[in-house]
Amino acid sequence: MAGSGTEALGHGGANAAGHAEAEGASKRDFLKILTIASGAVAAGAIAWPFIDALNPTREAEATARPIINIGGIAENTAMRVEWLGQPIYIRKLTAKQIADNQFVVPASLPDPADFSDRVKPGYDSFVVVVGLNTGIACELEGNSPSDPRGPFDGWLCPCDGSVYDPLGRLRSGPAPKNLVIPRFTFLNDTQIQLG
Amino acid sequence: MATPQAQTKPWLESRLPLGAAWRANVSHYQTARDQPYLATLPGLILGALIFLALSGAVLSLFYVAAEGSAFHSIQFIIRSVNFGWLVQSFHTTGTTMLFAAVYLLLFRAILGSSYKGQGDLVWFLELKLFIILLLTGWLGYVLADGATSYWSLHNAALAGARLGGFPGAIADWIFGGPAGPGTLARMAVFHVILALLLLAVIGAIIVAKRVVAPPVHRNPVAFHPYYTAQYFAAFVIFALIFAILVFFAPHLGENHLNLAAGNPLMVPALLTPPWYLLPIAAIGGVVPTTLGGVIAVIAGLAVLYALPWLDRSKPGASTGFLYKLLVFILALDVIALALAAAAPPSLVTAILIKLFIAWYFLHFLVLTPLTSATESK
Repeated sequence: MAGSGTEALGHGGANAAGHAEAEGASKRDFLKILTIASGAVAAGAIAWPFIDALNPTREAEATARPIINIGGIAENTAMRVEWLGQPIYIRKLTAKQIADNQFVVPASLPDPADFSDRVKPGYDSFVVVVGLNTGIACELEGNSPSDPRGPFDGWLCPCDGSVYDPLGRLRSGPAPKNLVIPRFTFLNDTQIQLG
Repeated sequence: MATPQAQTKPWLESRLPLGAAWRANVSHYQTARDQPYLATLPGLILGALIFLALSGAVLSLFYVAAEGSAFHSIQFIIRSVNFGWLVQSFHTTGTTMLFAAVYLLLFRAILGSSYKGQGDLVWFLELKLFIILLLTGWLGYVLADGATSYWSLHNAALAGARLGGFPGAIADWIFGGPAGPGTLARMAVFHVILALLLLAVIGAIIVAKRVVAPPVHRNPVAFHPYYTAQYFAAFVIFALIFAILVFFAPHLGENHLNLAAGNPLMVPALLTPPWYLLPIAAIGGVVPTTLGGVIAVIAGLAVLYALPWLDRSKPGASTGFLYKLLVFILALDVIALALAAAAPPSLVTAILIKLFIAWYFLHFLVLTPLTSATESK
């Protein structure tokens, strides 16, 4: 650092010492900014692998976002998959179930929710919920048409008797809330991706 | 009751005088001109230790310290974790750089006989750093759980169990028995504790070095920016060598047999530690019994501790040419000892190892007192 300063002074010569000093100072400023900037880039480059290593691995990412084939689900039945330790129910509604539940006044429900809140637009016939009762955590019955389903043809909790409709909305029982809808997207008509 | 001065100071400065500490120790700290670049070694060692602590912290998130799982968890880090191959390589090559810096630090201290007079405490602290670093390095090597790592730990734990009495009790506290459950988990814990201790020791070295630095009488310069710039340049060169090793020689000085998983039913053909443990392992291995090996290692380190007394020169006398020549020969002797210890065992290497160890002790116990006494006359 000192070397570059004296060198700049030497270039200026004896005739314009003040000018040379200003030039030396600007050169030093430039070198300072250059050094700090490249140091910041280097620090960032060192920090990046450490921080990125904290992210989930690709394998974990892939298992955390599984793609589920829903083309084989028959009407009026639900498929059960396990995801992150939770049972996920994917149910295909019948035309009658859609008609029965489409125009229910939300204010009349214990936990008000509209039909459009419970299904994805364009995929009216599929309901995807976490199949655990929202009161005491208990896996619900009613995936198969032969299961006990309660008065609304939806799901029934075998533990505390809470009743849900086919959209997973709470209709009666000690449970306080509608069934949880996991985060998912429709990839196409026959595939959804969880997560 | 606040004094008027305390009121004018900013809130933080009046409670924790960081600005005053910065001025006293960095921006207004007066330093002699013409300090060599190698005087930055303690700073580089501190930087390397912090870097190893960071990369080790990332590795510890994925490392499984259990027999039979540790090696595979490292494979998982290298193959699956984002940038895991780089972080793992950072950690092993960072160890190489750290040991190189510490060996160079000890070499410079012996060459310049800076252990004399007021510098004795710094020398003892540097040796403490070296010894803790050897232990930490061995623990890290064992945690790799490769073929040679496995057998190194196995032999050490077995030897510890054979020791009776108090030494055996210490070995049991460390290893938890010859085939103790969770031995690797213990090793991981000690590895971290000793690494944190190293940070404290290097901090003490840096402070103690400044206290005993000779007072500057002629044209002192401020530490900042003159020596911060020097530190920066030294750090860039250090980082450049580090980067070359990481990307072109990530397994430098390792026994390649350690790249296979440890197998309890198969002893590898060549059971050698990484390069930084080779000299001390050779000294420990030259005596056939366990207790003898431990005593040999202690003796090898004790002669370094005794150096301020073994040097018979008068206080203030500069080191002579013959002394310096002998220190260079000592450095070559230690390198040759490491190379002989890394070679496949044979009659020739066994004799060479004994010769090099004999020269090591001869240097400290005979040649150093003789040359320092004659040359300072």
